[in-house]
Amino acid sequence: MSLIMVVDDDQDLGEMLGIVLRGAGFDVDIVDRGDLVIERFRKSKPDLILLDVMLPGVDGIELCQQIRQESQIPIVMLTAKGDTEDVIRGLEIGADDYLVKPFNSQELVARLKVRLRRTTPSAVGLRIGDLVIDENAHSIIRAGKSIPLTKLEFDLLVALAKDPSRVFTREALLSEVWGYRHATDTRLVNVHIQRLRSKIEIDPENPELIITVRGVGYRAGGAGVSEK
Amino acid sequence: MRAIALRWRRSLAWRVTTTILVLSVIVISLVGTTIYNQLSQGIFNEKLNTSIYDATTTTRSAQLQLALAPYERQTTVAKIVGDILSTTSVESAGTGRDVALLPFPVTARQKFTFKGTSNQLSLNSIPIGLRSGVRAHSTPQWDRATMVYADGKIDSGIVVGNQLIIPNSGRYEFYVFFSLKQQSDTLNLIIRNLVIAGLALLLFIALLTFLLTRQVISPLREAARIAEQLASGDLEQRMEVRGDSEIARLALAFNDMAVSLNQQISRLENLSRLQQRFVSDVSHELRTPLTTIRMAAQVIDEAKSTFDPVLARSAELLVAQTERFENLLADLLEVSRFDAQAAILDIQRIDINELVRRTSDYLDPHDDRSIHLHLPLHSVWVEADARRIERILRNLITNAIDHREGGPVEITVAESEHNVAVSVRDYGVGFSQKDRPFLFERFWRADPSRSRIRGGTGLGLAISLEDATLHQGTLEAWGMPGKGANFLLNLPKRVGDALGASPLPLVPEEFTTTE
Repeated sequence: MSLIMVVDDDQDLGEMLGIVLRGAGFDVDIVDRGDLVIERFRKSKPDLILLDVMLPGVDGIELCQQIRQESQIPIVMLTAKGDTEDVIRGLEIGADDYLVKPFNSQELVARLKVRLRRTTPSAVGLRIGDLVIDENAHSIIRAGKSIPLTKLEFDLLVALAKDPSRVFTREALLSEVWGYRHATDTRLVNVHIQRLRSKIEIDPENPELIITVRGVGYRAGGAGVSEK
Repeated sequence: MRAIALRWRRSLAWRVTTTILVLSVIVISLVGTTIYNQLSQGIFNEKLNTSIYDATTTTRSAQLQLALAPYERQTTVAKIVGDILSTTSVESAGTGRDVALLPFPVTARQKFTFKGTSNQLSLNSIPIGLRSGVRAHSTPQWDRATMVYADGKIDSGIVVGNQLIIPNSGRYEFYVFFSLKQQSDTLNLIIRNLVIAGLALLLFIALLTFLLTRQVISPLREAARIAEQLASGDLEQRMEVRGDSEIARLALAFNDMAVSLNQQISRLENLSRLQQRFVSDVSHELRTPLTTIRMAAQVIDEAKSTFDPVLARSAELLVAQTERFENLLADLLEVSRFDAQAAILDIQRIDINELVRRTSDYLDPHDDRSIHLHLPLHSVWVEADARRIERILRNLITNAIDHREGGPVEITVAESEHNVAVSVRDYGVGFSQKDRPFLFERFWRADPSRSRIRGGTGLGLAISLEDATLHQGTLEAWGMPGKGANFLLNLPKRVGDALGASPLPLVPEEFTTTE
């Protein structure tokens, strides 16, 4: 059973989220004060954090950054403003996904499940360029050195690497990696591709592993893939 | 010519300078002419007086010479006459004086007559009128004369005529000519100097006017330039204040005006910003409780199979109305964003066909064949904000589904060189011509007696129009009661391009022929 830490200052919403998530089969730990989050996080070691970015007194974005510094745990933000810079900043800092209030329960549960999904071990020794992807160990190895990735970044990279001949549209990636059904917010993809590149590309300005196909989307690049 | 007229109208400096110059030319030429006339008159009169005096003296001395001559001998007289003619001419060398001697017509019949001129002066030089005057009066007579010489030389001058009596012969007319050459030389010198002085004066006036007007006009020009910049929105522009003149006062007043304008505008901006912030904050604040309500409603709704019918229906209504409330909130927020002019396009290259297909699938998931798509076989690309275009399509299709009264909905996509067009046609209730202007108004209801369509926010078409306008596209509507409606969206293919003619008609073909 996965433990989800819900961080929300609105006690009623927190309680409701607890009801819905427990109903969906998750364990829930509700924190209603931003300043307690880090402490509780270290103690309870949740599998996912559901974080309301509009917390009084504490900057949700900063909180997100602090968590990210010590863990690659999936972070899903809750926000009342879906179109503001806050969302982009949160994603850039390291949040994996976000939900705009008011969201519905099914969508919430579906997204959380995608984030908690265990990547099924398949082709061993998947490669992208000079990187070796070890799905069992959930790690990326370059020249014997492991590169830490968040689970989402790992999923994104695996999705691209599994089908190197395919050009993925942003919508396709949203559906496969994030579990979106109807979505046109492609910023989510753009931001995470940038983050991923900054971690794995030797020169993020001139990416060789994840290649932008203008007007379409992205595909895996690198020496191991035949260029079309 | 037109260029000059234009400058005349447009440039104050030009107008002032030209006016002053024209006036100066008139005044200077008037003064110059007067001075010249006075001078030439004075010089002429002076010359005339001396001439008359001179002629009288000459005549007298000639008369004396003749009177003293032994007049019985004609040759002696002739010699004296010759002397008179030649001496005067000798005397005249420096002063341009010549003489002419003519007998009276009566005298001409005498035995001895004399006739002659000095320096080969032609007798024609004597004005006809003067001769009769001389014959009639014993006093000196004068006139202006043109002196013509046998060698073709011509000179203008004064001629003074007197009577001369030659003993033994009779009365003669004796004319003394005085050249005015010296005087006219003097006058020419005066004219030249006057003209030079006049031109110098004009130049001076022109320069002065130019400098003065520049001094006055350049702050005015500056004011005009700054006023234009203010008008175009640069509220920080101020005039430079120098000294304590009227211009400085103008600059001060101008700057005061700009400051108060700026304050007013920022006050209003502040107010409207506060207002919009408030709307936006309210919407956002409502979202948290709404999320709780929505999730609670869903939990209740999921358990409704165990409820009695009244409770179950209430749960359904709760869910539906929560959703409606949510849509309303989202639309309100969108409207406030438009009002704040904070709506920004997120431009991508999108395939309208794909978007239409996706949207209609989403809205008509049962695929009951009531939505007919007429799409080109190839992709239709357009640079647009996918989220907004999808929202327009969703609003138009929902609107058509709501009003179709069981009829089909037809969606057509077409493109031209510059445009991409989508029309959404239904065959339902339609709307009357008088409703047309209100169609895109917020919260407007076509028929108050008709109940509001469930779930509609009343903002859909208003937002769609704003979205289309944001793309520099158009959204038009045609309708006829009982015959249905047609909504036509036109978007430029490229951002910032102008729209061309719509590739699709607004009015359906079956109605264009009858009207």
